[in-house]
Amino acid sequence: MRAPKKITLFSVLATGFLITGCGSQPKPLYNYGDYSASYYHSKKELSAESALELQKSIEYSIENATNSRSNRVAPGMYANLGYIYLKSGNSAKAIESFHKEKSIYPESAHFMDRMIKKIEVAEGKTND
Amino acid sequence: MISKKNITLLGFILSTLIFTGCGPTYVTKGTEFPKMYEQQPRSILILPPMNESTDAEAKDYYMTTTEMPFALMGYYTFPTEMVADIMKQEGVYDTEVLYNLPLDKYYEYFGADTVLFTRIKKWDVSYMVIESTLTISIEAKIVSTKTSEELWGYTGTVIVDLAGGTGSGGLGELIAKVIVAAINTATTDYVDHAHTANKRLIYTLPFGPYHELYMKDQTIKLVDQTPINN
Repeated sequence: MRAPKKITLFSVLATGFLITGCGSQPKPLYNYGDYSASYYHSKKELSAESALELQKSIEYSIENATNSRSNRVAPGMYANLGYIYLKSGNSAKAIESFHKEKSIYPESAHFMDRMIKKIEVAEGKTND
Repeated sequence: MISKKNITLLGFILSTLIFTGCGPTYVTKGTEFPKMYEQQPRSILILPPMNESTDAEAKDYYMTTTEMPFALMGYYTFPTEMVADIMKQEGVYDTEVLYNLPLDKYYEYFGADTVLFTRIKKWDVSYMVIESTLTISIEAKIVSTKTSEELWGYTGTVIVDLAGGTGSGGLGELIAKVIVAAINTATTDYVDHAHTANKRLIYTLPFGPYHELYMKDQTIKLVDQTPINN
C-alpha cells in the first residue's frame, strides 16, 4: 500500500507550492515609493507643499532602496535630489548627490560630471 | 472527381486562412526588434512628450509617467524633469525643436545611448448620445544616438467606456448614462489610464542590462503592429 501515501505526499507538496505561488509577490526591481504620484501632483498643483512632497518621496525612495530586488537606489533618484538641492542653493549637497548617482550608475557619469563642473564654474572654484 | 479527403483538406485550408486573417498576428521581441539585441543600449534619455492631442495639459501630466516603467525594464533612465529643465537652460523650449536635434548631440551632452520619443496621439473624451469614451493613445520610439536608427517602437492605446454597461436604450436610461458619463469624466484621472497605456506598449521592449532577463527574452511574443506603424 505505497501508492496512496505517495499521492498524499505529492498533494501536500503541490498545495504548498500553490500557496507559496499565490501569496508571495516578487518585489519590484526598485522601490519608488510614492514618487510617481508625487511627481504628478507637483505638476498638477504647483506649490511649495507639492514640491516638498516630491522631495520627501525621493528621500523615502532612497532611504528604503534596499527593500527591492536590486537592493539599489533607482536610476535618477540621486540626480533628482541633487537638482532640488541645487535649485535651493545648496551646491555642496548637490555635488554630493551627483557623485552618488555617478557611483551607482556609470551611465550617468558624463551628465553628472557636466553638472558638477557647471556648479564649480558658477562658484569660481575651477582651475581652468 | 473531388474525393471526401480533398473536401476535408480544402475546408482545413480555408479555415486556416480565415483564422489568420481575423486575429492579431504575433511576432517575437527578437525578430521585431533585432537592433536592440545587436546594439545593447544601457541608457535612455527620456524627452518631454510631443503633444498631438487636443488637451494642453496632457504634456505635463504624461511626462510624469514614463521614467519609472522604463527604469523598471532594466535601463538607466536619465531624470526626466531635470533633463527638460537643463534643455530649457540651454535655450531649447520647444519640443518640436528637441525632436529635430541631431541625435549625436544627446550623446555629446548627456552621454545617452538612446533617446525616447513619445507622442500623445489621443488624450480626450468623446461624447456621444449612446456612449462616451475616454481614449489615451501613446506612440513611443527608442532611437540610437550613435547610429540614429530606430531600435524599438510601439503604440499603446486605452479606451475607457465612461458610462458603462449596455441596456435597453430607453430615454430615461440614456439620460442617466449621459449624467454618469459627465460625472465619470470629472472624476476620472487621465494619468491612471496613461499608466495603463504605458503598460500596453512597454511589455514589447527588450529588457535592459539591469534586469534579470537581459538578453534572455528574445522569444517573448507580442502583437505585430508593423502595418500600423508604416
